[in-house]
Amino acid sequence: MAYTLSGRVQSRLAAALLPLLVACVLAVTLPAWWPLELAGLMLGVGLALDLVYDRALDYQPGWLALPLGLVELGAVMLAAREAEIHAPVGAAVAFYAGSWLVAQLLAHAGFPLLRLTYADDGGELGRLGLVAAAGTVAVFGAAGGYAWSQLPPVVHLSAGIHQGPIVIDKRQHLVGERGAIVRGGIVVRASHVVVRNVATLGGEYGIEVDRARHVVLDGVKVVGARVDGIHVRQSTVSIRNCTVAVPGGQTQGIDISFSAGMGMSMVENCTVVGGQQGIVVDSAEADIMGNRVSTTRYQAIAMTEMSMGMIEQNEVAGAVGSGIACVDQSMCMISDNHVSGTRADPSSPGIERQGGYGIVSDYKAEAELEDNELVGNAGRIGVFAGAEVTRPDD
Amino acid sequence: MTSPAPGRRAQGPAEPASADTSARRRAAGNGRDTPTCAIVGGGLGGFVTYTTLRHGGLEPAEIAVFGTDPDPAATFRAQAAAIRQRHMRSESDGHVQARTFPGLAVRSACRSRSIRPLLDSVRDRYRPTVDEFLAHVAEARRTSGWDASFRQERIEQVSAVDGGFSLDDHGVFAHVLLAPGHPGLAFPPGLEDDPRVVHAYEPHDYADEVAVVGAGMAAATEWLNALAAGSRVVSIRRREPARRPLNVERRYFTKRGLAEFQRSGREERVALLRAFTAPSYPPGPEWDEPIADAVAAGRFRVEPEANGAAQVICATGFRRGFQADPLLGRLVREHGVETAEGWIVLAPDSTVPALTDETRTLSLAGSCAQWGHPGADTVVGMKYAARGFLRRVRRWRTR
Repeated sequence: MAYTLSGRVQSRLAAALLPLLVACVLAVTLPAWWPLELAGLMLGVGLALDLVYDRALDYQPGWLALPLGLVELGAVMLAAREAEIHAPVGAAVAFYAGSWLVAQLLAHAGFPLLRLTYADDGGELGRLGLVAAAGTVAVFGAAGGYAWSQLPPVVHLSAGIHQGPIVIDKRQHLVGERGAIVRGGIVVRASHVVVRNVATLGGEYGIEVDRARHVVLDGVKVVGARVDGIHVRQSTVSIRNCTVAVPGGQTQGIDISFSAGMGMSMVENCTVVGGQQGIVVDSAEADIMGNRVSTTRYQAIAMTEMSMGMIEQNEVAGAVGSGIACVDQSMCMISDNHVSGTRADPSSPGIERQGGYGIVSDYKAEAELEDNELVGNAGRIGVFAGAEVTRPDD
Repeated sequence: MTSPAPGRRAQGPAEPASADTSARRRAAGNGRDTPTCAIVGGGLGGFVTYTTLRHGGLEPAEIAVFGTDPDPAATFRAQAAAIRQRHMRSESDGHVQARTFPGLAVRSACRSRSIRPLLDSVRDRYRPTVDEFLAHVAEARRTSGWDASFRQERIEQVSAVDGGFSLDDHGVFAHVLLAPGHPGLAFPPGLEDDPRVVHAYEPHDYADEVAVVGAGMAAATEWLNALAAGSRVVSIRRREPARRPLNVERRYFTKRGLAEFQRSGREERVALLRAFTAPSYPPGPEWDEPIADAVAAGRFRVEPEANGAAQVICATGFRRGFQADPLLGRLVREHGVETAEGWIVLAPDSTVPALTDETRTLSLAGSCAQWGHPGADTVVGMKYAARGFLRRVRRWRTR
């Protein structure tokens, strides 16, 4: 068919209506936003390409729908990656393929049946096109409105010192202005909470996350917590761009514990100074990436008690005891880290595993090492009590 | 507007000339037992218009079809048989039903339980056989009510009157579509009375040496026919034919190309139409290989003149121009209809602008309607005119 531009757009909008409704049903039943996000992306990419097709194709033979469909699939996948739409690939491709098939059936059979002059008019649908466009806009509008209504409230914390602890037990975003400080810490007990750009001062824990999922701590600063800087229990968190400074004693900078089976947590681009352990993952799954940990007195970064995850691209400096430790049946992928200046623990003379190793694998743990830089440590790699260390070229 | 169409006259007492026209139209629209629409021409153009009107909700009693043969495919059948045509040049959409879907490829796939016709169709390679097409026309004729509307009459004169058009003495019709078909076979000058001459579209056999005049689809078909019959072929042509699947570029069959065509000025459109009517036939080895073999065997050659051949087959198509058609010629003369060279100037919906208004419609379909649609002499082009006609009729009925 020799489509007009208007015909292409109208046909595409009308053909998108059914997949869009299916996406709505999927979004409700899963529940997840990706079907709607994907449907919107497919429509957007398709409409953009229609402008190209209109210039490039005076006449479009039927067979060309297949290669064009594959091109659009590639474009949609790229766009989905850029837009960080986390759709399962198999389901997303199946959704795309189904939508493409519906569009072909409509173009070749449905629309010509609905509108006598569909072919004559180069794919234009007249009133039907307007109705379809309105329907598509309405569905997206309704979905967008619903999504907006579901957005958590944003609580802005003004600059200055606020007396804590602040307890968050409902889904919300707590966003601090520059200089917003909470004395006594923050407690998060609800899922999908975001804490951004807030500093805490003192408290038993700087920030405590308890039995919550998908919590984001972004740009937080924790100073002077008596036990842990950030204390996470039975929760999944994404901690990024944070600064944690803890005093000596039995303290940890960031402690993520007892979250096994709940999903991955993430600690990324944080600076942790001091404490007995800088970042510790205990009975949990977590990726620890791009952090700077220094002057700890037992382990700078540790995965212990059957934990699992990656320790990657971190800088560890001036630790006492050990730099990076994979302990107690944990499985750790340790790569591209820079560990320097680790010293033996003078308070534990004769305990070998505290002998200042850059990397330690202890008690049946499995550590996979790749491209780590170990500089100026008392020991390089220590393996104890039935633990293993493997390297890719082993 | 004092002379209502027959359908309106049957609705009781005549209303005064000043009566509200919409009321009269409502009255006429409600009476479905007398025709308000007439189709002049009982060939494929008329038949396609008929199925379109029926699809649009008109009953057989509301439509009068005037023609000389009740079989709408009679002329095509005879001409296709004369040139031993096996396949249509048109594709899946070249069927006579109003809706595009299902096309002939889908029907063939269902009938043969094979996906092949569909695959051929998406590759623009599907060509229905003539037999399939004729069977399809026969089926559509049976189910459409065509025979109930058909009147075996040749219309000699169409005259515009108030509220419609009178067709000889058969009454006045608000909406008339003229699909008179081709106005006769064309012979090159000087060959009309040559006893050796037969037109490709007339029944004929093949002599030992055959001169085929022309270079279009019919000529190419005749080359292969004559070669298959064991003849030597002399192709008489003055220029090389174009090779294209359809006689008009595909884009002109939809709004994308049509809008551009219909925007063209008078001179430009005349030039375009002349280019479209230049001889052409489809590309493909099924055409080229037999000719290449015959050339190698000395059985096929090209010459500019038909000289001593025992048989001359004129594959030179049809006479062109409204002047060649008595009905159209008279219409133009009596009503001063605007023309351009041999074409009647039409509105984009294939209506005659000077004779079409809110109360009546005069449309053309088929080869005489090329001013509105360059592929008007194809089935798809005929449907285009028919749909434009239906839109006018519907608008009139709902006023």
